[in-house]
Amino acid sequence: MIPTGYGDDRIVLMVKDPWWLFAYWEIQPGTERAVRSQLLPHEVPGLSSILRVYDVTGIEFPAQPACRSFDISLSGLATNWYLQTNAPDHAFIVDIGLLAHTGRFLRLARSNQVRTPRSGPSEVLDEAWRTTEEAYWALLGASAGIGMGASPTGWSALLQRAFFSGQWSSPLPTGQGRAAVKGFWCRVNTDLVVYGATEPKATVTVQGQRVAVRPDGSFSLRLALPEGTQTITVEVTSADGRRAEMVAPVVSLARDGSVRAEPAGSDAPGRG
Amino acid sequence: MTRRGFLALVLHAHLPFVRHPEHPEFLEERWLFEAITETYLPLLERLQRLGNDRVPFRLTMSFTPPLLAMLSDGLLQARYERHLERLIELAAKEIERTRWTPPFHRLALFYHHRFTTARRLYVEAYRRNLIQAFRELSDRGVLELLASCATHGYLPLMDLHRPAVRAQLQIGVQAFEHAFGRRPAGFWLPECGYHPGHDELLKELGVRYFLVDAHGILFGSPRPKYGVYAPALCPSGVAAFGRDLESSKSVWSAEEGYPGDDEYREFYRDIGFDLEYDYVRPYLNGDGTRLHTGIKYHRITGHTDDKQPYDPDRALEKAAQHAGHFLFNREQQADHLSSVMDRAPLIVSPYDAELFGHWWFEGPDWLELVIRKAHAHHPRLSLIAPSDYFQHYPTNQVLEPSMSSWGFGGYHEVWLNGANDWIYRHLHKMAEQMTDAAARHPHPDGLRTRLLNQMARELLLAQSSDWAFILKNQTHTGYAYRRLHSHLGRFTRLSDALRQDRVDEGWVADIEAKDNLFPFLDYRVYAA
Repeated sequence: MIPTGYGDDRIVLMVKDPWWLFAYWEIQPGTERAVRSQLLPHEVPGLSSILRVYDVTGIEFPAQPACRSFDISLSGLATNWYLQTNAPDHAFIVDIGLLAHTGRFLRLARSNQVRTPRSGPSEVLDEAWRTTEEAYWALLGASAGIGMGASPTGWSALLQRAFFSGQWSSPLPTGQGRAAVKGFWCRVNTDLVVYGATEPKATVTVQGQRVAVRPDGSFSLRLALPEGTQTITVEVTSADGRRAEMVAPVVSLARDGSVRAEPAGSDAPGRG
Repeated sequence: MTRRGFLALVLHAHLPFVRHPEHPEFLEERWLFEAITETYLPLLERLQRLGNDRVPFRLTMSFTPPLLAMLSDGLLQARYERHLERLIELAAKEIERTRWTPPFHRLALFYHHRFTTARRLYVEAYRRNLIQAFRELSDRGVLELLASCATHGYLPLMDLHRPAVRAQLQIGVQAFEHAFGRRPAGFWLPECGYHPGHDELLKELGVRYFLVDAHGILFGSPRPKYGVYAPALCPSGVAAFGRDLESSKSVWSAEEGYPGDDEYREFYRDIGFDLEYDYVRPYLNGDGTRLHTGIKYHRITGHTDDKQPYDPDRALEKAAQHAGHFLFNREQQADHLSSVMDRAPLIVSPYDAELFGHWWFEGPDWLELVIRKAHAHHPRLSLIAPSDYFQHYPTNQVLEPSMSSWGFGGYHEVWLNGANDWIYRHLHKMAEQMTDAAARHPHPDGLRTRLLNQMARELLLAQSSDWAFILKNQTHTGYAYRRLHSHLGRFTRLSDALRQDRVDEGWVADIEAKDNLFPFLDYRVYAA
């Protein structure tokens, strides 16, 4: 249902970070055929698909030539590419096209223009808001959590770590349902179910606590069973209060083996 | 008495729009239910208590439109109550089951009390209207409210189509006004994602300020005189506040942060996973997969699988210690900063609201204690909202903030990587088609107006940054994929119907009933 294409000839350029761009594109076979038909026969062998990346910082492109450009050879089926430009605070445009061994380049599509962000402090200073180099670095260090007065030497590594390695949270689940348990493990736990039946209108207590009797007269109670011996006192009283029965099963739990018991009740695991 | 510093705590509340009337129950709707029980209600309860005790403070919160839409949705409100009823039932069973094991019995009583309190607050005190409750806190002057984007769209990767960015911002402001009946004080850019020029669009909407991550200001140009400890004015005149990393880390960091303390509740041990299957089965979802019920009996304990029982009293004591520690450090920080600044520093500490209570169970207690202790013991540290700052320092430096986000890496890689980059060719195309359709149909009839509005809703829902985030994190990816698929599919069919002039009212109504947020939406925002 998600379309593989939209019938366009287009390439779109996006910024990922100060050093990397991302491009995706769609070129119709007919368009490529039409462009290929402009080639001379001897230009066809060795023809390759490329991205031509133009650094257009500070210029009107294409009226003015790009400051620099470089090519990336594409594998046949690619429809997107991550481009390493290593050029923060620069503007880029990308062409996709065909490159002949003669050096002739035939463009299939040209991208939008993007600008990468700065990756460090600006060199531009503001006269009205003068600051000393010392004060700036003191505040930058403090901002980055590096500490006041940290030396500018080696700041960039520190900044990278301080700014960009956060373990940020999210309201959405970010991990599997439970913390990973390493290696082999097992849990053995015991819940005890006490159940029975009586007249639907009778009163039932277990250990002195009232237990609900269902319309069919049945009742049940589940208890996390700790180690040791427990006496379970079940008292049943008739609706008119004249008759009463008391049953007191005795249950004892002892654990044997190498699985060490944790406090019961949570179905806490005993782990070897 | 000299004032040494200002502290602005900001909580960003957001959940993606998850509402599935077509299913009797739906796993992902629990995201909302858990956040209400564990975060929104505990925060409201504590903030109101602080207000009743006349503790003066200012706190800032943003609410995204999808969250506002879900909080005011009748179907989800009814489902939340049902969810809570079942939790109370399970907690009651736990009280019985744990009778012979005192530490757990006590916790079962603790949870039963919490859930019945939640029901009392939700049903009786707030009458299901949490938005109104937050609004009242704003009326009291303790809460500053921020708007956010229509569906938490990540704007830097949307910039190819400015009308799409404008729509995210404008519908975000409209949703805020619709919910709170007032103009927002400021704006929360989703993921603090800032692209130069978007301040101009905020200016058009009358927004006074937004927040960015630290490097958004620090790498701004010209160099900021005060670092992140004073706001910067963008060329448009809209202010940008930078996040302070030191205070962020003490809460956020999984390793060194407070939430990882041994005394605090362990999130990953839940009776939904731990107890015998048939016993918990009635409290699981339809497919019977084990899940988090919200009843958790253990504390973090340490780097061990041998988790000890949770003790709420000891955890609260620890939260009080951490609140004191946090304020002591902020005061130290403000002292240091004052020594290199010729004005009082402002420390801005933004967090995801759902960290408080949902992930960090004791977070709401910690927050309340920070506010109480700041008032009682730290008179030179003022808790303010960002907009209050301008009363103290109306003149601020003009600079262009740098493109940035608060995501891992500091830029866009969380939302643009091998796991999710394929979505942008579709999102961009939809934005282009929406803009074209809006331009081609300036005066459609009633049915076509509805269709165009629904196209806009489907585009907006597809643009939620949550889908890209989930695809990246490799959990619930099936759900994120289905959502992208369904919004893209609905959009395309609506768009085709319009183009081919074959519009079926019943079918449009069906989609309207499913994706029913933003009743006020006017698609002409895309024609601007």
